[in-house]
Amino acid sequence: MLGYILKRVVSLLVTFIVVSLIIFSLMRVIPGGPFDEDKMPLSPAAKAKIMAQYGLDKPPAIQYLRYMASALRFDFGIPYQSPGETVVQLLGRAWPPSLILGGLGMLIGTPLGMLLGIMAALRRNRPIDYFASGLSTLGMTVPVYVISLMLMLVFGVWLKWLPTSGWGTPVNWILPVTAYAVTPLAIFARYTRSAVLDTLNKPFVTVLYAKGLPFRLILFKHILRNAAIPMITVFFPVLIGITTGSIFVEQMFRVPGLGSYFVTSIQKRDYPLEMALILLLTLMVGVAYIITDLAYYFLNPRTRVKGTE
Amino acid sequence: MAASPTVRSPLYYAWKRFLGNKASLVAGVFILLLAFAALCAPLITPASYEAQSFLNDALAFPSPTHWFGVDNVGRDLYSRIIYGTRVSLGIGLVSALASLLIGVPLGAIAGYSGGVADWIVLRLVELFSVIPPLLLAILAASLLGGGILNIILISSAFGWVGVARLVRGQVMTVRTKEYVQASRGMGALPRHLIMRHLVPNSVSPIIVGFVLAIPQAMMLEASLSFLGVGINPPTPSWGQMIADGLYYLFFYWHLPLFPTLFLALTVMATSIFGDGLRDALDPTLKGK
Repeated sequence: MLGYILKRVVSLLVTFIVVSLIIFSLMRVIPGGPFDEDKMPLSPAAKAKIMAQYGLDKPPAIQYLRYMASALRFDFGIPYQSPGETVVQLLGRAWPPSLILGGLGMLIGTPLGMLLGIMAALRRNRPIDYFASGLSTLGMTVPVYVISLMLMLVFGVWLKWLPTSGWGTPVNWILPVTAYAVTPLAIFARYTRSAVLDTLNKPFVTVLYAKGLPFRLILFKHILRNAAIPMITVFFPVLIGITTGSIFVEQMFRVPGLGSYFVTSIQKRDYPLEMALILLLTLMVGVAYIITDLAYYFLNPRTRVKGTE
Repeated sequence: MAASPTVRSPLYYAWKRFLGNKASLVAGVFILLLAFAALCAPLITPASYEAQSFLNDALAFPSPTHWFGVDNVGRDLYSRIIYGTRVSLGIGLVSALASLLIGVPLGAIAGYSGGVADWIVLRLVELFSVIPPLLLAILAASLLGGGILNIILISSAFGWVGVARLVRGQVMTVRTKEYVQASRGMGALPRHLIMRHLVPNSVSPIIVGFVLAIPQAMMLEASLSFLGVGINPPTPSWGQMIADGLYYLFFYWHLPLFPTLFLALTVMATSIFGDGLRDALDPTLKGK
């Protein structure tokens, strides 16, 4: 087991380095630099001085190694678009809104989606099932900014019930959190439904009925436990969906979060910030991968026999 | 002797199953209508997509003359949306085709030969699933610049992953089937095995992969255009129209509303259609 974890961590490190190389080279290949005339009117001498200050006069390979070496010490440099702070300080300021809104969306959407999925599976081909499948198709196919826009139109513009922008009070959170929650709700509803349906027809469930166990017990003790396994797989797409969704949701609802920096740091050739953001994301996704595998291992004894599958 | 039962091709049963699925039938009809609108755009729209012919009516609400209203620079919104159908459907179709061209051979090679080739393809697939595709796409779009051709290039660079996965899985299962083993045992060459057994048996996942790659590409185009790195104005794109309309959300809500509706309906219809097609072609996959 320990060897397996070690192997996964090593492979995560390799992916991490490959990703950082790809992003670094992509960023440098994009024409234009952070201190070009169109972004900052500087004399050639001043520009050269700034470039030297940020180490941009060195060959790319040296720049890369330097960056990665300081990244190991959690020093991700200074964001060019906001030189008054370090990248770490910027993350500390802009990450909480994203985490709170995205996290709340996940916390609300996941159980609701599971509940809806269970109800749909138990009342197959009834109105609730159609409602669940309609809602999950909507949530899984339609981009999050379309959902955000619809929420803003209905509750902000037409009904005037809720504010559509800002971050100050929890009232401002309602619409963005709802927009975030739609993705996990849709995905979990669909997968829970099919997982529960699969388990419902298993022979062991029939045996449980036959031996007279009350339905509630069968559902909670046996069906849901077995249905939980395929649902762990879904965790991933949901996580990625919420993170990239933040780019759009935060722009639509004007939340001062991390989302907007993904795009602006590319547009402004803000190398240190972009690298930090993508490395952070890769790390998150990679760690989530490993946690998912471990969860499989503990929840499903069958995977332990095969080992590393 | 009993009358021999009518022999019908598997496609006949697939078609029957498809007709039984009302939702995907409706979705299919909607897509056909859209495709028709895209083809006949000049005939069914009052103005061209870039003609600022209605400056006096700028920002007008929907009316019998302007079905979806007029935008902020005097262009008929209905015309722009219909021309936007061309962009969206066109990019979806061409990108999906290109994804097939990359994904089918890679998936088939990986599934058939296993070993190193499989390992390389799997690592590629994994790499594409660790970095959120949208972020890489934004990077690539800033690198190449927007424009229809580049967007097609980018979305097929991501679209092949799903296709390759489907084809690889199918080839791997078919390869170990008894009749393929028997054929191999009788001395069939790999070329014969691939052409006679593996490819014909992979037709349904290829079709499914193709159809499901369409909404993905359309979403990617809309998202990139929404962020301003996709289709360049004045070429109309729904994503770009949504982003532009956002400024007018409070007073002229029809500007963002109609492109949003079209984008949502089109992407949903294509996905539902693809799901229906998958269920019809391979009932064992149903609900997966």
